[in-house]
Amino acid sequence: MWATSLPISLENYGFNKIDIMGPLIPLEIITGQWDFVIALLIGGAFGFILEASGFSSSRNIAGVFYGYNFVVLRVFFTAMIVAMVGYLYFSYMGWVDMNLVFVLPTYLNSMLLGGFIMGLGFVIGGFCPGTSYTAAAIGKIDGFVFAGGVFIGIFLFSEFFPLYEGFYTENYLGNITIGEMLGVSNEIVTFAFVLVAMIAFYLTWLIEKKVRKNMTEYKFD
Amino acid sequence: MKEELFISGRDIPNIDPYLNIWHWEIPVYLFLGGLAAGIMFFAGYFTIMRKEKEMQATVKYAPMLVPFALVLGLIALFLDLKHQLYFWRLYTTIRLESPMSWGAWTLMFVTPLSMAWAASYMKEVFPKWDWKFKFIDQIINFIIEYRKAMAWALMILAVILGVYTGILLSAFNARPLWNTSILGVLFLVSGMSTGLATIIWMSKSKYERKVLSRIDLIFIAVELFLIIHMLMGFLAASEVQIEAAQLFLGGEFTVVFWVFVIILGLIFPAILEILELRGFHIPIWIPSLLILIGGLVFRFVMVEAGQITRYLY
Amino acid sequence: MDKKIDAKKRPVYINPYFGGLLLGLLILASFYIAGRGLSASGSAKLAVVEVVHLVAPEHAENNAYYSKFLPEDGSSPLFNWLIFGAIGTFFGGMLSGAVYGRLGKLRIEKSPKISNRTRLIAAGAGGILFGIGSQFGRGCSSGAALSGTSAFSFGGLIVMALMFGVGYLFAYFFRKLWI
Repeated sequence: MWATSLPISLENYGFNKIDIMGPLIPLEIITGQWDFVIALLIGGAFGFILEASGFSSSRNIAGVFYGYNFVVLRVFFTAMIVAMVGYLYFSYMGWVDMNLVFVLPTYLNSMLLGGFIMGLGFVIGGFCPGTSYTAAAIGKIDGFVFAGGVFIGIFLFSEFFPLYEGFYTENYLGNITIGEMLGVSNEIVTFAFVLVAMIAFYLTWLIEKKVRKNMTEYKFD
Repeated sequence: MKEELFISGRDIPNIDPYLNIWHWEIPVYLFLGGLAAGIMFFAGYFTIMRKEKEMQATVKYAPMLVPFALVLGLIALFLDLKHQLYFWRLYTTIRLESPMSWGAWTLMFVTPLSMAWAASYMKEVFPKWDWKFKFIDQIINFIIEYRKAMAWALMILAVILGVYTGILLSAFNARPLWNTSILGVLFLVSGMSTGLATIIWMSKSKYERKVLSRIDLIFIAVELFLIIHMLMGFLAASEVQIEAAQLFLGGEFTVVFWVFVIILGLIFPAILEILELRGFHIPIWIPSLLILIGGLVFRFVMVEAGQITRYLY
Repeated sequence: MDKKIDAKKRPVYINPYFGGLLLGLLILASFYIAGRGLSASGSAKLAVVEVVHLVAPEHAENNAYYSKFLPEDGSSPLFNWLIFGAIGTFFGGMLSGAVYGRLGKLRIEKSPKISNRTRLIAAGAGGILFGIGSQFGRGCSSGAALSGTSAFSFGGLIVMALMFGVGYLFAYFFRKLWI
């Protein structure tokens, strides 16, 4: 275990090899239908945090593209680096088995196209599906319309699926991680992310100050 | 000829007796009965406390729904009967040991009583209403004089109705999930909570909503307490009851029960109501609708799950 | 065009870095408990599959895409981790809106320079595009970008980079909608 091979022996401080391994549900530590109840609670916290950070307003979200509100970047980057660092830490301590956690499979061509279309949708609609649910929850009609559009889009995709079925599964690289693709370990990837995040936070802070000075008709928070 | 008696675990259609016979009609009736009981109880209570002026929706508007709820519930019950043409036989005898007899006679008294109560307030709710016959006006005036006595009768019969919806299920000793006496009180409290939610939804006065929200929070807390202790009681009983409780703790009904009945039907509306009492503005239909749906789903789950639990096989 | 902003009416949001911290911890908890993150587009896809299955069962089973998500034992495709996560997201957002005073009447939020209709058409178009794109990309911003990249998935990184990159590329053309 990593914990025993670190220069400082953590065992002296009480960090013995922990027997609780996660993730809990794939390892059947939580059985039965409880996992859906937990899904509800996790989703509840997710929706709460998104809405409280301001993601229920499409103008806040679209601000990242025009420089007047970088809340999307701040929340996303912070969440990612916290989750990555925490994930590595848990894996060190033996609390999570990284092999059992779902890694998104990489279908190169399909994902490139998907990201492209989603980027367009993002800048036009100003929402993503998760935030559109929270916007709908507080009564925003454009949230409802966006969520409805997502359903229609998925329906259209599925109806015309035979046309691009081959393209959909082309270039399958497996469930590879960033580290495996670039040939570096996960820790270095995390470190790089943290560096990029810090630089991005500083730069966006400067940009936001400048842009807000020129825009006076938008309500800034 | 040697006869052999055997008990087997088969469930062959058209040969073995039915094991699951109560479908949607019974939960719908239980829900409507509980709802009507809740509204009637508080209509009677606030009349006796002489608070008619402040609690207008409780005393006047909500009881308008009760006759409809009861009639719809009775229709649902009627649809569920196997020998529908013989339903009148229930009213030819009084059997004190049979919950169905209690229920039939209670409904027999409660339905006209609630109609009379609603009728007596018709002129106040619909100012242009005209009874068209003189003697009806005289009857209404007579009723208005005796409102206090009617209120007492309404309260007592409402409690009996609410408890009866639970006792109806708990009289089945062959169904381990139902055969617990806590079900009577639980269904009464749940019915009161749904009744309160309806009145809060219909109410127009802030004072009334505040008072009723406070009472509703107490009832929700009691209901949660009773549900937890019902499950604890099952887990501490014999093996069939433990299996019955397992249906809700990891079994097939876990998700529906915990998500729609407990979290979305009781805890989340309670949080919203607490926020409302503290001054945060919440559209009032959200907690009320969630409590109503939670109550309905609760009865569906109890009826459905109860028929799966059994002693033998 | 100077509008005096009334300080009392400004919506109250929590500090974005704090929100990001909480979100990261939540994703970590989700990994620890369930071994996966949330995905809003995944839940939308399952809902579409269920509706199509209800309306036209044979079509759903014959179509190569829908049939992937219909469980073999005949239970509903809605019986899934993602659906309950989405229900939770909805009610969690509602609770947050209630606490911070944003839960109110039905309203449309838009830049004052465009009409309501434009905003709704844009939201609808954006939604349709996002729906199509999320199926190609195997996730949306919460599924692929957030949870995917946090689990070090390469695909998640691609999707996220493209989403924001393309957004910046085309932002100039849609600036009338926002600024």
